[in-house]
Amino acid sequence: MDTLFRLVNLQQQHYQQQSDQSNSSRTSSSSKSSTQQNQPHHAQLLLETAKAFADKNSGRVKELVWMLNELGSPYGDTDQKIAFYFLQALFSRMTDSVSPWTTFGHVACNGAIMDAFEGETKLHIIDISNTYCTQWPTLLEALATRTDETEHLRLTTVVAGGGEAVVQKVMREIGQRMEKFARLMGVPFTFNVIHHTSDLSNLNLSELDVKDDETLAVNCVGALHAARRRDSVVSMFRSLRPRIVTVVEEEADLNFGSDGFARTCNERLMLERAAGRAVVDLVACPSDDSAERREPAARWSRRMHGGGFSPVAFSDEVSDDVRALLRRYREGWSMAQCSDSAGIFLSWKDQAVVWASAWRP
Amino acid sequence: MATNRFLCEICGKGFQRDQNLQLHRRGHNLPWKLKQRTSKEPRKRVYVCPERTCVHHHPSRALGDLTGIKKHFCRKHGEKKWKCEKCEKRYAVQSDWKVHLKTCGTREYKCDCGTVFSRRDSFITHRAFCDALAEETARVAAATNMNNISISNNNISYHFIGTNPLGPATPQHFSPIFKSISTVDQPIDPTNRRPSLWPHQSTLVHESVGSIGTVSSGSAYNDPIPCLNPSPSPSDQYQLNWVFGNKNGTVPSLFSIQTPSASTSATALLQKAAQIGATSSDQAFLGSLGYKCSNNQGKDGNKFCGLYGTTPEMSIHGSDLESSAVTDLSTINQFQMYPSKRQNIQSEDGGGGGQTRDFLGVGNGIQVQPICHPSSVNGWI
Repeated sequence: MDTLFRLVNLQQQHYQQQSDQSNSSRTSSSSKSSTQQNQPHHAQLLLETAKAFADKNSGRVKELVWMLNELGSPYGDTDQKIAFYFLQALFSRMTDSVSPWTTFGHVACNGAIMDAFEGETKLHIIDISNTYCTQWPTLLEALATRTDETEHLRLTTVVAGGGEAVVQKVMREIGQRMEKFARLMGVPFTFNVIHHTSDLSNLNLSELDVKDDETLAVNCVGALHAARRRDSVVSMFRSLRPRIVTVVEEEADLNFGSDGFARTCNERLMLERAAGRAVVDLVACPSDDSAERREPAARWSRRMHGGGFSPVAFSDEVSDDVRALLRRYREGWSMAQCSDSAGIFLSWKDQAVVWASAWRP
Repeated sequence: MATNRFLCEICGKGFQRDQNLQLHRRGHNLPWKLKQRTSKEPRKRVYVCPERTCVHHHPSRALGDLTGIKKHFCRKHGEKKWKCEKCEKRYAVQSDWKVHLKTCGTREYKCDCGTVFSRRDSFITHRAFCDALAEETARVAAATNMNNISISNNNISYHFIGTNPLGPATPQHFSPIFKSISTVDQPIDPTNRRPSLWPHQSTLVHESVGSIGTVSSGSAYNDPIPCLNPSPSPSDQYQLNWVFGNKNGTVPSLFSIQTPSASTSATALLQKAAQIGATSSDQAFLGSLGYKCSNNQGKDGNKFCGLYGTTPEMSIHGSDLESSAVTDLSTINQFQMYPSKRQNIQSEDGGGGGQTRDFLGVGNGIQVQPICHPSSVNGWI
């Protein structure tokens, strides 16, 4: 919530400036309170949501989140976008503590990446994910403490979609924190952001600035399903000659309807409710799911095979780590090897909900 | 008992080696000077892993110290037959496992902002995004006195969300990050006499390994811990401490007196990072920053190391130290003892050509079966 608070503050400042400019006759002493009054609905909402969450006022949180969800949109104006991102981040932060939904993928991928990077010192990760770089602190810590060598890590984050201004703000915050944290860990670290607005398959590879002497990993969490030309994306990954590609997607083993809405969205909600997410009972799913279509793991696997990749099994250690992770959550979560495809599933009561896999050319 | 003839003029603490005294003096904000440990040449990386499929088998990926390669061998290629019941972590080295048992499930992680975590990974993730990190960096950077690290112990109260996943009832009785640097969490006996990496089987090691040497191996490892913090402590919790020095004691004091000026923040934070839920293996790595293997200047009858045709260097196993140095140019000059690891790797031509040995005493570019298979190595433990 810290980063989010800052984001809200940024927005407040923005409005502060605006109101200063347009109301130069106002006295400065009243500027603070007037900021409060002038504050558009969104910023106020964000603040209140954050506070309600901190107070563990679940009823209030529900209300506010519902409103935010109504108002926020990745396609709207800056306010709406900020509200949208905020909601996303809030959502994942909240649920992390009660559900291993995102952490599962992170632990599995980081484990596979660490194994693939074994013995290498110049590392480059191209990260195309929807989890706001929350995957990387634990990897940085692992690099700092569990390796024999001094690794230098470059992290290039590809942010798909979103408005320029918002992405800039959000990613600058995140980048600064990543850099600070890497310094804390003592890992030489470089952070770059690429904001890419069209289909992922159009990504300009030269922008990624992959160097010859680097060991490359491509990490794709919840991002493949947003691409239209998926086979092209896979080929593109292949052309980068990565040491490893890690893919995490929500598992959809039902066909989606003709209206294009992802059933898994609602399934996910159902499952999450069943899993006991006590805090929020969302009415609507995060909206980035609505337009995109998910595929089952078996289909993603076929695409990867078709693109020239072979699966890499997660090591015993990584599997142990994942299982240990799941033990810290409620009963009902389990890890399962995929029978008809590569990778592993996170399952809730034996229903696969998230798929994680690793591949090499 | 070895004499501690290098005495600190402020507090009277004695050290066996001048270098340790110098580092200690930094903690008092006294002027200090560290001499270059070995002469001009960079440390040679001559220890290769006997396991042919291992990335460290090739001379170009040799490691710089014997203990490191042994540890690596055991942990990577040994069978992990020791398993923790609580968390499923497995260990090849029994002592690692024992150490882990002591801390598994008992550890709580507390952030500067006051939030407590029972899970290490969520703590780490939180830490990276916590505002307290930003605050702290600013504060510590401003501090000139290393003792100001205690600032960090002030709980910055942030309105924090998604905090303790276990609810308020969880007792917190262990906050590794915020112990002050002078306290040692786990008392460690600095006068451990264990002469080998596998404390329970030391004689077996000597017999099996043959030419590696017997008595001299003792001297290689048994360098009485050149602790930076040689406060004698009662119970020896860690079997490996004789190798890596006084773990918790060494790490904090090493890090804390690291840097004089601008990178105070980096290393102060690094010290904490070093304490973040450190497992035994982490501590082993980090602890190895505490200069082990000191007296061997190469000239002497350190026959053990002499077998390998190399001067054993100080192990800087923890790359953290150098990484932080690398990222802050102003500190590079001060780390005269630490030729950059990466420079080492790149300037090596095949790991010192012809002098490469795997730690079992075979090598010279010859492809040989490792003397012991991983499973039998484990039999030593």
